[in-house]
Amino acid sequence: MIIFRNVSKIYFPERTVALANVSFEVLAGEFISIVGKSGTGKTTLVKILTAEERASEGQVVVGGWDITHIRSREVPYLRRQIGVVFQDYKLLQKKTVFENVAFAMQVIGARPSRIRKIVPEVLKIVGLADKHDRFPRHLSGGEQQRVAIARALAHGPKILVADEPTGNLDTATSQEIIELLLKINQIGTTVLFVSHDEGRVNQIRRRVLVLDQGTLTSDEAVGRYRLS
Amino acid sequence: MLVTIYRVIKFAWQGFWRNFWLSLVTVSIIALASLTVNALLALNVVADSAVTSLEQKIDVSIYFDPVVDTPKVKEVQDYLGKLSQVTAITLVTADDAMKEFRQRHARDAAILETLEELGDNPLGATLVVTAQHPSDYPEIIQVLNHSPYRDLVSDENYKDHQRTINEIRLIADRINQAGIAISALFVLIATLIVFNTIRVAIYTHRDEIGIMKLVGASNAFITAPFVLEGVLYALCATGLAVAVTFPLLNAVQPYLQDFFTGVPLDLAGYFRENFVAIFGSQLLGMSALNMVGSVFAVRRYLKV
Repeated sequence: MIIFRNVSKIYFPERTVALANVSFEVLAGEFISIVGKSGTGKTTLVKILTAEERASEGQVVVGGWDITHIRSREVPYLRRQIGVVFQDYKLLQKKTVFENVAFAMQVIGARPSRIRKIVPEVLKIVGLADKHDRFPRHLSGGEQQRVAIARALAHGPKILVADEPTGNLDTATSQEIIELLLKINQIGTTVLFVSHDEGRVNQIRRRVLVLDQGTLTSDEAVGRYRLS
Repeated sequence: MLVTIYRVIKFAWQGFWRNFWLSLVTVSIIALASLTVNALLALNVVADSAVTSLEQKIDVSIYFDPVVDTPKVKEVQDYLGKLSQVTAITLVTADDAMKEFRQRHARDAAILETLEELGDNPLGATLVVTAQHPSDYPEIIQVLNHSPYRDLVSDENYKDHQRTINEIRLIADRINQAGIAISALFVLIATLIVFNTIRVAIYTHRDEIGIMKLVGASNAFITAPFVLEGVLYALCATGLAVAVTFPLLNAVQPYLQDFFTGVPLDLAGYFRENFVAIFGSQLLGMSALNMVGSVFAVRRYLKV
C-alpha cells in the first residue's frame, strides 16, 4: 500500500536533515504507529506522503503510484486517495459539520444524492449525527477532531493518515479518538497513526515504527515505544 | 459539470454571506472607489458645461457697406449658413443697427445731433456669426474672404476678439487636458484600491484555501468561488454607488447652479442619460479587476 525506499529529506539552505535513508513498507489493512520525539521527522514523513513536500532522495510509492516526482497538477488526485487528520483539525470554519465532511466528496465531483447518503452515515460512525448543522467554533476539541476524521473518511480513502490527532485533546477524548481509528481500521482502511505519546502507542499493541533524528531506528510488528 | 457550476455558485454565495462584515467592508471600499470616479466625472461635466457655455458666448460680427442692400446681405447669410462650422447666423439690418446705436447713445446729445445732421443712415447691415468651436472662426473668415461677397464687407471684428478667443480656447483645452490627466490618475488610484481590497479579502481566507488544497480540491475548484464572489462584490458596489450618486447629485445641483449662474447644468440628467455607459462600464471594469485580483491573490495560497 505504501512504500518508502531509502527516502531522505534535506531542507536547504541550512542543510537540515529531516529524514535520512528511511525505508519501510505498509501493507493494505495495517494499523501502524509512527513514533518519535518532536523534531524527529514524523511530520516530514506525512508531508512527503501527501505531497506537501518532495523527497530529496529515494522513492515513495502510494497504492502502486510512484509519487517521488509527482507533478503539481497531480497532487489533488493523490490527496483524494488519502484521508488526513491533523493535530489542529484544519476544519473550514465557515462551513457546518455536514458541509465540512461533504466538501471532501464535492472536490471529487460526487453527486449530491450520494453526499446526502454518505455524510450522515460517516457522521454516525464518529458520533456526531446530531451536530451536523453546527459550525466548528460551536464544537469541543474532541468533536472537531471527530469531524476531521469523518471528513477524512467521507470519500472512502484506502489510507488514513492521522498526524498527532490526540495532541490537543484530553486523556478521555484521546482514548475515544484512538478507539475510533481502530474501528476505522477494522473496516479495512490502512491507518498511519503518527504520535509522540508513549502511552497511547503502547496501548494499541500494533506495528510501531520509531524515528530518531530522521532515522528509522525500530520497526516491530507488535511494538512498543520507549522514550530514551 | 452542471453540479460543479452549481457548487461554485453556492460556495461563492456562502462565502459572501457567511463573511458578511468582510463582504460589507469590501463592497463599501469598492463603492467608494466608484463614487470617487463618479465625483470626478461630475466635475468634468461641470467644467465642460462651463467651457461650452463660455464658447457659445463668443461670436464674430461681419459689417457690410451701407450701400449693400438687405437681400444681398441675406444672400451672404445663406452662403455662410451652409458652412458646417456655423451654428447660428443672425442678421442685423442697417435700420436695426441704427436703432440700437441710438439707444446705446441716447444720453449723448452730440452724437444724436451729428446723426441728425448726416440725415441718411451711415451704418450698414451686420451678420453676427456663431461657430461650433472658437477654432472655426479663422476658417469662416477665410471662406468669406475668398468668396464673391468679399467686396461687400467693410469690416469684421474677428481680429479684435482673436486674443480673447484664443485665451478661451487655451483655457478650455487646458481644462480638458487636466480633466483627462486627473481622470486617469483617479482611475489608477481606484484600480489599486480595488485590487488591494480584494487581496486583503482573500488574505483572510488563506488558511481555508490551504485546507481545501490538503483535502484534495483542485486549484480551479478553489479559485472559481472566489472569482465569482469578486463579481458579487462589484455588483453590490455598483448598486451602492448608484444608490448614493443620484441623491448626492440632486443635493449639490442647486449650489452648483447658483455658483455657475447662466451655465445650463443637469448633472443627474447627464448620469441618467448615460446610465448604462457610466455604471455598466464601472460594473464591467470592477468585475474584471476583482476577478483578476482574486485569481492572483488566491494563487499565492495555493502552493500547499
